[in-house]
Amino acid sequence: MLESEYQEQNRFFLNMGPQHPSTHGVLLIVLEMNGEYVLDPQPVLGFIHRMHEKMGESRPCPGFMPNTARMDYVCALPYNHGYVSLIERKAGIEVPRRAEYIRVITSELNRIASHLLWLGAYLLDLGAFTPILYGFDDREHILDILESVTGSRLTYCYYRFGGVYQDIDDKFVEATRAFIKRLRKRYVIYEKLVTQNIIFIKRTENIGIVSPDMALRYGITGPNLRGSGVAYDVRKNEPYSVYPEFDFEIPVGEQGDCLDRYMVRVREIEQSLRIIEQALDRLPDGPVRSKVPKTIKLSPGDCNFAVEAARGELSYYLVGDGTSTPYRLKVRVPSYSNLSCLPELGRGILLPDLVSILGSFDLVIPEMDR
Amino acid sequence: MDKIIKDFKRYFIDQGFDAIETDHERRGFHLEVVLDVNQVRKFAETAYELGFYLVFVAGLHVRPDEENDNGNSGLEVVYQFARYDRPYRVKARASVPKNLNISSISDIYHGADWHERETRDLFGVIFDGHPNLKPLLLSEEDVNFHPLLKEEAKLKTLHEVSWSPETPKSDPDKPERKPKDSLTQ
Amino acid sequence: MGEENKRSPIARDLDAYAEFLRSESCRPVAEGGREYGEGPLLRMKLTDTILKLCQANSLWPMTFGIACCAIEMMGTGMARFDISRYGSEVFRPSPRQSDLMIVAGTVNKKLAPVLLTLYEQMPSPKWVIALGNCAISGGPFKVKENYNVIEGADKLIPVDVYVPGCPPRPEGLIEGILKVQEKITGIRHPLPQNRHPKSPLKKVKGLRVK
Repeated sequence: MLESEYQEQNRFFLNMGPQHPSTHGVLLIVLEMNGEYVLDPQPVLGFIHRMHEKMGESRPCPGFMPNTARMDYVCALPYNHGYVSLIERKAGIEVPRRAEYIRVITSELNRIASHLLWLGAYLLDLGAFTPILYGFDDREHILDILESVTGSRLTYCYYRFGGVYQDIDDKFVEATRAFIKRLRKRYVIYEKLVTQNIIFIKRTENIGIVSPDMALRYGITGPNLRGSGVAYDVRKNEPYSVYPEFDFEIPVGEQGDCLDRYMVRVREIEQSLRIIEQALDRLPDGPVRSKVPKTIKLSPGDCNFAVEAARGELSYYLVGDGTSTPYRLKVRVPSYSNLSCLPELGRGILLPDLVSILGSFDLVIPEMDR
Repeated sequence: MDKIIKDFKRYFIDQGFDAIETDHERRGFHLEVVLDVNQVRKFAETAYELGFYLVFVAGLHVRPDEENDNGNSGLEVVYQFARYDRPYRVKARASVPKNLNISSISDIYHGADWHERETRDLFGVIFDGHPNLKPLLLSEEDVNFHPLLKEEAKLKTLHEVSWSPETPKSDPDKPERKPKDSLTQ
Repeated sequence: MGEENKRSPIARDLDAYAEFLRSESCRPVAEGGREYGEGPLLRMKLTDTILKLCQANSLWPMTFGIACCAIEMMGTGMARFDISRYGSEVFRPSPRQSDLMIVAGTVNKKLAPVLLTLYEQMPSPKWVIALGNCAISGGPFKVKENYNVIEGADKLIPVDVYVPGCPPRPEGLIEGILKVQEKITGIRHPLPQNRHPKSPLKKVKGLRVK
């Protein structure tokens, strides 16, 4: 057989998804394969398109709150935060300081929960069945703490225009402090089990290298960008809420491979714990919700608000027309831009490496499809 | 190219774009640019050279202005750019003419590829030069269904949804903004 | 009914599309049958009981985690809520090796053929749990301007147990699995930890509470 005929015989198309054992959601990637090498990965979205932007235009602005939690359900509180801050910026509503502190504490707890889930799911993709049990165990503690004050385990709708729904009590503060102590002791487990594991290092080192120029062209933000060495975090760059009052670092990687993205997220958990500690120490007294009018009229014009979600920069863009219903609400989600670099990144790599890259990007598909 | 630019607004105006400075605290971005349909690619190239990254490309459906016979279709495309190194957000807006064609920037900013596909899905704007305008979020058979287009009764003109200095929340001590005529072009 | 008029014409199209998909698929789905063919030649009560007991205590779920409810399904499989004590330890991603499909999330117009294909690929006997409000009736997305969400998984496939919630707690999913077991065998799981807690309403005279 001729060499070229042999090559032709090895070419085929493979459907990865929409139902596959990784826990990213319903994503279909059509892979053109040559043996074990991927020639051209093309993601196909739209399997969970739930018309969030259309719903944002069809109901008065408080009615969109449940939608914000369902876009990215793993880390729902920053989405809540972005939306209420957007309407507060538009209508000029002041937020009491205690409410801002509570918002920061709960958002950071949610960020830790999201990273723990990502850690477990990523290692499950790579074939390790144990870390997900430990990750979920720690996550259940956070979920208990947040459930005591918000009422839900997963899709929180806790923030309101002008503050938060319910005040936190001493039990919450005690439980959070106990959790911080406990998680710091558990780092050793993750360190020994995962980070120093030679199989894990071999599967993530030098794989899926994202250069800063590629990040600029695609608009990649979040830990994916910080793994490539660019120290961009919306909390430091365009500070919102009370983040300027806290002292925390932005971990960056060097090369931009999967191992760097992993290390950035693990170190972010520690930075979030620092923020929570400082916030609990300085928690002011006062009301948790300011008085807002019953119907909030959105003045004509457009407005933008950007927050740092667990996956990157989340941006809400609102066009108001004088009524209380937004004229246009656009949600810019981080995973959308993060995944769009896959056709360029995944050319000519092995299929297991593609799984590793997808896991390290930390994608949540319903937020991409909105 | 690594340019140390102190004043982006001056730079963009020198290049020929209609840039207005906005209040970041009230509107969330620092600069607002109104683009002509032919200026879109040049603006994208300028922004890429300066080191901006593309935040999103979105569509907006307004009622076309019948008095100024510009041949507008009522669709607008909104671009937003931001920077990695310092806080600076730029919002650019372009009106789409009646034939619904606007040039694509997906070869300058590769991330615009998916944003433009989504805008075509939801609004029907056709981007010239885009390599692959197949439906992204909707199914293949819904290629002519544009869900975010508004019904006739709910459309408002661009003037009704634009920022104007007469909005009640404006601070009387702040300097006078440009007159609102330039925003309706 | 007034409700029909309030929905947009596109939602009615979606119902028609779901009907069309359901009728196109193979006969057992259309007739709602998940029994094996005509039935065995000889049917003895004892073997039937033993077989049903074995089936009920080793339901292998297929992971069809679509959206938010998938995280709660994962949480149920983890150490705190542990679904493996009821026999559902192995979450099989392949439909050929599973007999319980847990539809966890919103079913979309684009996803409907996928759901139907997976259901057809599962070998009989098979059972379906609709987890969460979206799978029961479209959930928070059953709105007037709906153009994409199919309102309920039961418009496409026959569903055995509905577990409400947005998302339901892991205990809710475990109760759903116990209900499927009760549906197969006819009796509820006998161990004491699974009995319903005593309802405070029992003290009310004249109110029949189980």
